[in-house]
Amino acid sequence: MNIFNREMRANRKSLIIWCVGILFIVGSGMAKYAALSNTGDSINKLMADMPSSLQALMGIGSLDLATVDGYFGLLYLYLVIMASIHAAMLGATMISKEERDKTAEFLFVKPISRTTVITAKLGASIVIVIVFNLVTLLSSIVFVDFFNTGDSVTAEVALLMGGMFMMQLLFLFLSAAVAAFVKNPKLSIPISTGILLSTFIMSVGIDLKSNLEGLKYVTPFKYYEAKNLLHDGGFDEGFVVLSLLLMVGSILTTYIFYRKRDLHI
Amino acid sequence: MNIYLHELNGYRKSTLMWTATLVLVVLLFMFIYPAFSKDVTAFKSILEGFPESVRNAIGLEIDQFFSLLGFYSYLFLYIKLLGAIQAMNLGIGIISKEVRDKTADFLLTKPVSRVTILVAKMMAALSCIVLTNVIFLLLTYLIVSYTSTEPFSSKTLFMLSLTLFLLQLLFLSLGFMIAVVVQKIKAVLPVSLGVVFMFFLLNLFGSATGDNLLRYLTPFQYVEPMYILKNNSYEPDYLLAGLIVLIVTIVVSYVVYTKKDIPSV
Repeated sequence: MNIFNREMRANRKSLIIWCVGILFIVGSGMAKYAALSNTGDSINKLMADMPSSLQALMGIGSLDLATVDGYFGLLYLYLVIMASIHAAMLGATMISKEERDKTAEFLFVKPISRTTVITAKLGASIVIVIVFNLVTLLSSIVFVDFFNTGDSVTAEVALLMGGMFMMQLLFLFLSAAVAAFVKNPKLSIPISTGILLSTFIMSVGIDLKSNLEGLKYVTPFKYYEAKNLLHDGGFDEGFVVLSLLLMVGSILTTYIFYRKRDLHI
Repeated sequence: MNIYLHELNGYRKSTLMWTATLVLVVLLFMFIYPAFSKDVTAFKSILEGFPESVRNAIGLEIDQFFSLLGFYSYLFLYIKLLGAIQAMNLGIGIISKEVRDKTADFLLTKPVSRVTILVAKMMAALSCIVLTNVIFLLLTYLIVSYTSTEPFSSKTLFMLSLTLFLLQLLFLSLGFMIAVVVQKIKAVLPVSLGVVFMFFLLNLFGSATGDNLLRYLTPFQYVEPMYILKNNSYEPDYLLAGLIVLIVTIVVSYVVYTKKDIPSV
C-alpha cells in the first residue's frame, strides 16, 4: 500500500497538467464546432461526396460533421492519441524509473517481493488512467452539452470514452511489458512511444489504401474507431477479445520478466 | 572540438534512426499516392459544382491539393510532427543529460568555459539536424520523382521539404531553452512530446479558425504549405517571427546557462 500511495503522489502533478491539457482540447475543439455548424449543410454534403481516401486524409472518415456526435467523433481521435501517449509513457516510466533514477537498490532490498511491487505500481497506474478518463468524460459531456442544440448525445460520448479507456489500458500494459522486457531502462519510453506512433501512422495508411485492410488487427488505433463505435452503437466483440488477450499477455510478460530481471544498479 | 565530436558520436545512431523513420513515412505515403490520384479524378467533377465560398471554407484549392505536391504537402504534416519531436528531443537531451547522468562534475571541471561547452553542444545538435535534412531531401526527391507520372516543380518540392529544417531549428532552440531553464529533467521524451503535441494541437485548431494572431503562437503555422504551393515563396512575416523566436531562445539559453547553479553529485 505504501508503494501505491507513493506512486500516486509522485504522479499527481503530471496528472493535473495532463487533465488541464485535455480540458483545453475538448473546450477549444467544441468551440470550433460552434463555428463550423454555422456554415450550414453544404460543407457536410461536400464531405459526404468525397472518396474515402480523401476523407481519411482530412481525418473525418464517414463521420457526419454536422451533428454534434459526429464532430465529437473527429475530436475523439485527438483525445485518443493524447490518452494513449499518456498511458504508454506512464506504463513505461512506472516500471523502469527505479533503475533509471538509481532507486532500485533502495526499493528492492525492502522485505517485499517484486510481484508486490509490480502489483502496487500497476494498480496505481490503473487508478491514474481511470482519473484521466473520468476527467475527459466529464469535460466532454459538459462541453458537448453546452454546444449541442439537438438531442442529448451523452450516451454516445460515454461509449466513445469507453473505447478510449480500452486503448489506455492496452497501451499502459503494453508499455509496461516493454519496460520489463527491454534491458536498458532508458530505452523503455522511446520504444513504447515508437510503437505507438508507428501504429498510429499505420492506421492512417490503412485508411488511405483499402487493400491494407488486413493490417487493422495489428494497430490498436483501428480497434475502437469513432465511426465504428457510433455506427454500431457498441464495441466490436472481436476487437474487445483481441485487446483483452493483448492486455493479459502483456501483464503476464511484465510479471514473468520483471521477476527474473537482472536489475541495473 | 572534443565535446563536439563526443556529442556527434553519441547521437549518431539516434540521428540515423530518425532519418530512416522520416524517409520511411514518405515512402509509405508515396506508395499510396497512385490509388489516391485515381479517386481524385472522380471527385474533382463533383467539387467543381460547389460554390467558391464553400470550397474556401474547407480550405481546398482544387488543383493544388490534388497534384502530387499537394498530396505531399498535406502529408508533410506528419513529417513535421515527427521532425519536431526529433529536434526537441535532441535539444533537451543534449543539454540536460550531464545533470541527469551525473556527468556534469566531470565535464564542468575541465578547463573549458561554459560558453565553449554550450556552443559545442549546440553545433553538434545543429549538425545532426542538418545531416537529417540533407539525407531526407535527397531521398525524398528520389522517391517523389520515381512516383510522379507527370512533371513537377522540383523547386517547390525543395521549398516544401526545407520547411522541415526551419521547423526543426525552432524546436531545437526551444529545446535548448527548456533544458537550461528547468532544474532537472528526469526523462526527456515526456517533456518533448508534451510540448510538441501542445503546439501541434494549437496548430490544428488554429488552422481551422484562420485566426492570424493564433498563427504566431505555434511554429507549425509559420510555414504554410498551401501558401508555398501557390506563391512559391515563404511568408516574410512569419519567417521574421521564427527568427525572433530563434534569437530569443538562444540568447536566453546562453545567459541562463553561464550563470546557472548546476547540481553536483
